[in-house]
Amino acid sequence: MFTTYDVFDDVVHLRDLVDRFFSEAPAVRRNVEYPYVNLKENDDEVVITALLPGVMADSLNIQLIDNSLVLEGEKKSDVQDKPYIRKERVFGGFKKAVRLPYRVDGDKIEAGLKDGILTIKLAKAEEARPKKIEIR
Amino acid sequence: MANEVKKLRKDAYNCEECVIVPTADIYETAEEYVIRADMPGTRKENLDITLEKNQLDIYGRLDEELTSEESLKYGEYRLHNYHRTFVVGDGIDREKINATLENGVLTLALPKSEKLKPRKIEIKTEA
Repeated sequence: MFTTYDVFDDVVHLRDLVDRFFSEAPAVRRNVEYPYVNLKENDDEVVITALLPGVMADSLNIQLIDNSLVLEGEKKSDVQDKPYIRKERVFGGFKKAVRLPYRVDGDKIEAGLKDGILTIKLAKAEEARPKKIEIR
Repeated sequence: MANEVKKLRKDAYNCEECVIVPTADIYETAEEYVIRADMPGTRKENLDITLEKNQLDIYGRLDEELTSEESLKYGEYRLHNYHRTFVVGDGIDREKINATLENGVLTLALPKSEKLKPRKIEIKTEA
């Protein structure tokens, strides 16, 4: 068994590298389920935001199940029966569970939908809040 | 090489000038062209639409709190300001362009100028 050096191997390798760069770039990387969420945390609460342009509040159903927040809803189609020159937006139903990093207080959840961004504030459960430990 | 690629990606992430090109639908009716674009987080006050010569520019600036990644623990999206450019033909009635923003979706109606609208041609019959 022997191998020969071929300059085209390097070229192919380079091409793979470039391909990988683009496939991993954020604008192209879409291997997460719709809708896309961000999770922020501070001492008392966990804040989840989701991008939901064109989704009405009444077609959204948010549930807290065990340790997960389930977002369910539908982006209703606004497609007209007209000739389209460009069609890039997608519509349809979705359901996504977001696992919460802490226990939350189920009675203290606030959700708001503004300008197509859903914000859910979940207060951490008492036992999940940071406690300062006194040194005697 | 791999390191340079990594650096390039890092710069792309952190770039201040980065914009998001919003996804858009365009359809045509007898009277107008309609553009619909998803721009979550954009408020009416922060939206700029300009038509210069044949170039239609849509800018949406986002508030600092939306693009901030402070205390972010898990992220699937990253927001930047929006910018998208379309080239439009001459047959647009520039005075009557109408924009509405609802739930993060921009609807832009570009009426066709009179000369482009379809008109019914009367057939004269010889009596």
